[in-house]
Amino acid sequence: MRVIVRTFSELCITIGALIVLFVAYILFWTGVRADGAMSDQIDQLHRQWSKGSVQPATRTSRDGTTTTRVTVSGPAPYHYGRPFAIMYIPRFGFTWNKPVAEGTGRDVLAKGLAHYQGTAQLGQEGNFAVAGHRRTYGDPFLDFPKLRPGDAVVLTDGTTWFTYRIDKGPYKTVPTDVEVIDPVPRTSGYTRPGRYLTLTTCDPEWGHSHRLIVWAHLDSTRSVEAGEPAALRR
Amino acid sequence: MYGWIWRHLPGNAWARAFISLVLILAVVYVLFQYVFPWAEPLLPFNDVTVNNQ
Repeated sequence: MRVIVRTFSELCITIGALIVLFVAYILFWTGVRADGAMSDQIDQLHRQWSKGSVQPATRTSRDGTTTTRVTVSGPAPYHYGRPFAIMYIPRFGFTWNKPVAEGTGRDVLAKGLAHYQGTAQLGQEGNFAVAGHRRTYGDPFLDFPKLRPGDAVVLTDGTTWFTYRIDKGPYKTVPTDVEVIDPVPRTSGYTRPGRYLTLTTCDPEWGHSHRLIVWAHLDSTRSVEAGEPAALRR
Repeated sequence: MYGWIWRHLPGNAWARAFISLVLILAVVYVLFQYVFPWAEPLLPFNDVTVNNQ
């Protein structure tokens, strides 16, 4: 009898300790890892850009095999998992900047913001759609509900600053509402094709029942040599 | 359970305490490195995209 009671209580303590450790992992450790990965990627992008090689040298696809070289006019195609831009949102604070990488896989989202594959490229005609974590993994989009129409979303790809202005949002929708990242999203109020930006994150903060969306249009572009855009100047 | 492990560790009390500490650290490492990353996707915080699934 004594052995049974002792073993049972030891089991309870073990399970309790496991839960505490898991919570610590979710709340704290994913953030530590993600912050490290994000600043590494930003450093890597800055190094790449300062060397003048904006386009990545090697190209590998998701399964590790090399993809065929495609020659298209305009910007180079993005590669899954590879960061290609840095996003700044002054509303989230002047020190807020996150790398944007291609693909919305779990592994990509764990290291920063994720560009939906198949949506427009940065600054191009169409809808440049980006997803980010609201909670865990560094909480990049924690303050998402504070975004308001008129707020700037600034991105750079190493050669150009792109300043987008938010037109609508945060708009709450359901996870299956894939129309929000259409080239001309119906619910956004846009009626004509243009250069748009869509940001998505989860809602409620710790849940997954809904999504929050904001839409923006490309307001201005500026070459990197010309200095930071007005939206980033204090 | 823990008493059984303690009794089967070699050495005196100090050596056992040291080995226990190493064992605990090893367990925490395995949990953080392998078990939790596996269990984490079962929770909803990862769903930040819109999709058809």
